[in-house]
Amino acid sequence: MNLDNLYELNQIPEEMIGKVRESVMNTFGSMTGEVPSYIENASSDDPLNGIVGNVTVFNSDHTLSLMLAIPRETAVYLSEVFIGMELPFESDDMGDLIGEISNILAGDVAANVEKVGFRGQSSLPTAMRGSDLMLFMPNKPPTEKMKFSSPNMEFWLTMVLSESK
Amino acid sequence: MEQAMGKIKAMVVDDSKIMRSAVKRALNQLMVADFEFVEAMDGEDALGKFNNEIEILFVDWNMPNMTGVEFAKAVRDKGNDQIPIIMVTAEKSMGKVDKALNEGGANEYVTKPFTADKMHKAISDYFDDDGNLITGDEDDNESKSFFKGILNS
Repeated sequence: MNLDNLYELNQIPEEMIGKVRESVMNTFGSMTGEVPSYIENASSDDPLNGIVGNVTVFNSDHTLSLMLAIPRETAVYLSEVFIGMELPFESDDMGDLIGEISNILAGDVAANVEKVGFRGQSSLPTAMRGSDLMLFMPNKPPTEKMKFSSPNMEFWLTMVLSESK
Repeated sequence: MEQAMGKIKAMVVDDSKIMRSAVKRALNQLMVADFEFVEAMDGEDALGKFNNEIEILFVDWNMPNMTGVEFAKAVRDKGNDQIPIIMVTAEKSMGKVDKALNEGGANEYVTKPFTADKMHKAISDYFDDDGNLITGDEDDNESKSFFKGILNS
């Protein structure tokens, strides 16, 4: 995979998207015991009522941003599976949990995209909770939005590839 | 207050309170020893709380202020050669495993999300049947742990 001409790219290389998709399925499968399916052509611009976990995998040249958009019901379900009890959606612990899930995903993504030539390290995660959330990408960098679903979960991952500043 | 006989003083270092709870819960469920926990939210906090009563360390990598590997290295640099250091981290690449084990001086490497089985494999050799910590020949432990760390990852 050649990222030298990123300025000329209008989409993220397919092999990188494939590795990230694989990481999402592996990570959520390991955490919950149910591997979410990738839902093709399911891009939605509906606003989110839930939590967004943000984390990046970066090197000195490029930054791969990962934004996990998790609806309220899925977040509560994840808390039940991950820590054995339902966390209140509004609690600080819920933000901690989604941040940690983003961190675990980033660790898997970093190891996985290295296989296609992108070597980077993961940042510390952040999380934000809200209603009617819309994700905007300034300057329109190469972006891929993916939907995943399983019987108990539904969530989106938006990945953005940009130059490291 | 007198410490109960047989209690193993373990330090759990992670910037996520949820993960510290998960590690403590997993260790208690394994019942390989009777643990008493000290918690720290990053490497800097851990270094401040570390003392010679701590017998085993469970350390995350990616934390603010001081990473887990920097903390592990600081512990080793203070001459604590025998204390088992178990990295419990989301970092999975072989380069990271190598850095934690060699540069940080960690003994074991457990990747998140971890299962009870994965944690058991990482720590069981450090305890005898009565839940006492085993401190064996350093060189032997070192080579054995390297391969175990790889397997657990």
